[in-house]
Amino acid sequence: MTTLLELKNVSKYYSKDIAALSNIHFSIEEGEFVSVIGPSGAGKSTLLRCINRMIEASSGEVVFNGTNIRKLGRKGLRETRTQIGMIFQHYNLVTRLTVIENVLHGRLGYKSAVAGMLGIYSQEEKQQAIRLLEELGLSQHMYKRVDQLSGGQKQRVGIARALIQNPKMLLCDEPIASLDPGSSKIIMDHIKNISASYKITCLVNLHQVDVALKYSDRIIGVNKGEVVFNGKPSELTTDMIHKIYGSETGDLIFEAGERNAG
Amino acid sequence: MRVKPYNKAFMVIHGTLLSLVLLTVYGFYSFDYKDVNFVEASIQTLQNVKMMFIEPHFSHFTFQEALYQVAITLGLAFLTTVFGAAIALFLGIFAAQNLTNKAVSAVIKGVVAFIRSVPTVLWVLIFAVAAGLGSVAAVIGMTFHSVGYLIKAYSEAFEEVDKGMIDALKASGAGWWQIIFQAVLPSTATYLVSWTFLRFEINFAVAVAMGAAAGAGGIGFEMFMASGFYYDIQEVGMITYFILIFAILLELVATRVKKNLKTAEV
Ligand SMILES: Nc1ncnc2c1ncn2[C@@H]1O[C@H](COP(=O)(O)OP(=O)(O)O)[C@@H](O)[C@H]1O
Ligand SMILES: [Mg+2]
Repeated sequence: MTTLLELKNVSKYYSKDIAALSNIHFSIEEGEFVSVIGPSGAGKSTLLRCINRMIEASSGEVVFNGTNIRKLGRKGLRETRTQIGMIFQHYNLVTRLTVIENVLHGRLGYKSAVAGMLGIYSQEEKQQAIRLLEELGLSQHMYKRVDQLSGGQKQRVGIARALIQNPKMLLCDEPIASLDPGSSKIIMDHIKNISASYKITCLVNLHQVDVALKYSDRIIGVNKGEVVFNGKPSELTTDMIHKIYGSETGDLIFEAGERNAG
Repeated sequence: MRVKPYNKAFMVIHGTLLSLVLLTVYGFYSFDYKDVNFVEASIQTLQNVKMMFIEPHFSHFTFQEALYQVAITLGLAFLTTVFGAAIALFLGIFAAQNLTNKAVSAVIKGVVAFIRSVPTVLWVLIFAVAAGLGSVAAVIGMTFHSVGYLIKAYSEAFEEVDKGMIDALKASGAGWWQIIFQAVLPSTATYLVSWTFLRFEINFAVAVAMGAAAGAGGIGFEMFMASGFYYDIQEVGMITYFILIFAILLELVATRVKKNLKTAEV
């Protein structure tokens, strides 16, 4: 196995004295499915966004596929970002445009400025978009405007937009936090299947421990900007869950008994 | 019982009101009435109004010519709106805080606030110093103010654009111009069109006035001639009806557009 992503002593300070991330250190193997869990405000989103530099880390190194992302210039950063797909809690689609137009947006990073501005895509790109939409069960919605879709359908458009980048890695920031349980399961199954069949490495922020346990190869627990757990789902004890989510025992909806229910 | 305190603001307001009343009374007292009989004068004014609006007619030009003159006025409004929109679209992007850096945005917004605070008519007169009174000064002056108005409207529409949407495209490696054309403009298109139309409506009214005030031609100039040159009250009435019809038509469309603005969400 080769290492795809490695974070070395990554810290992030939004203000002088409060660290949103402090000395984050971990690595992810190619093809791995890793979940990041932790209470809200723990720094999960910050962590994910420091990887593709949507937020600039304050110090440390982010090595992706052998290059230190933090040292890249503007052009190099754009090229590297095409290799990393991102999926968001609120889907972040252009809701006034059609489903297929949104999917094709995933190709913009590969295009010349003018072709991208005018939305000129090659035949292969269009065919790939159609194939992805079929795979995600959206082929009959292809020409609908995104604002006519349900949440679950929008998230599938988001997944298609990330996949058309042909990425090496997917960063998913709470992909199911706004969805009902049924749609959540569909989305998580899709992400898991994609990860397996296209060999795409996934780093997924979640706040549901049971979901993380069910889908992950590995779980990283974050609390107050620090990694407090990094191991297999089977190693995550109830005590550890309480440590990740803070000390108030009993406040957690999730209890150990549910662990095997998923 | 006294509810309001006798504070400074109270004194100032009442002092102002009282002096205004005194001035008004003194004004009426000091007017030079010559031998105008108030009743007679009122009746004659009403007769003029009656002639103007009950018996309107064309004498110095025909119905077709009037249509042609309205078309000129509409053309002036259209031209200045299109010029204004094109320039404002470009500068509006740079004025939107979420699309450029704060300094550029602040500079553009500052200049624009100044341009807007000077009325369109004044801009036309200012440009008339260089270009002479006429259509050129009218076009430049009206465009100038339209640019100011539309930059404010457009940049505010751009600033409402969902940040997440821009982030998503940035994260996929898309460039700045690509994001503008593929996300920002499609998301705000209805707003941009609506604001532009509202400005067109304003520019029509201004174009009528400019025809008279700046000699820019069109129906406004004909009205100026009919009233100030030929003293043809009936023709003035006819022209007024003409402008009214077009203004109402524009207003009807504008109301639709405004509704569109309110219901459309970014
Ligand atoms: N743009 C920002 N400016 C200042 N503080 C921020 C910003 N974004 C996040 N934070 C702070 O950093 C901490 C981590 O936030 P975040 O990464 O969003 O956590 P999570 O995604 O785990 O809920 C929180 O305390 C939050 O208030
Ligand atoms: Mg978050």
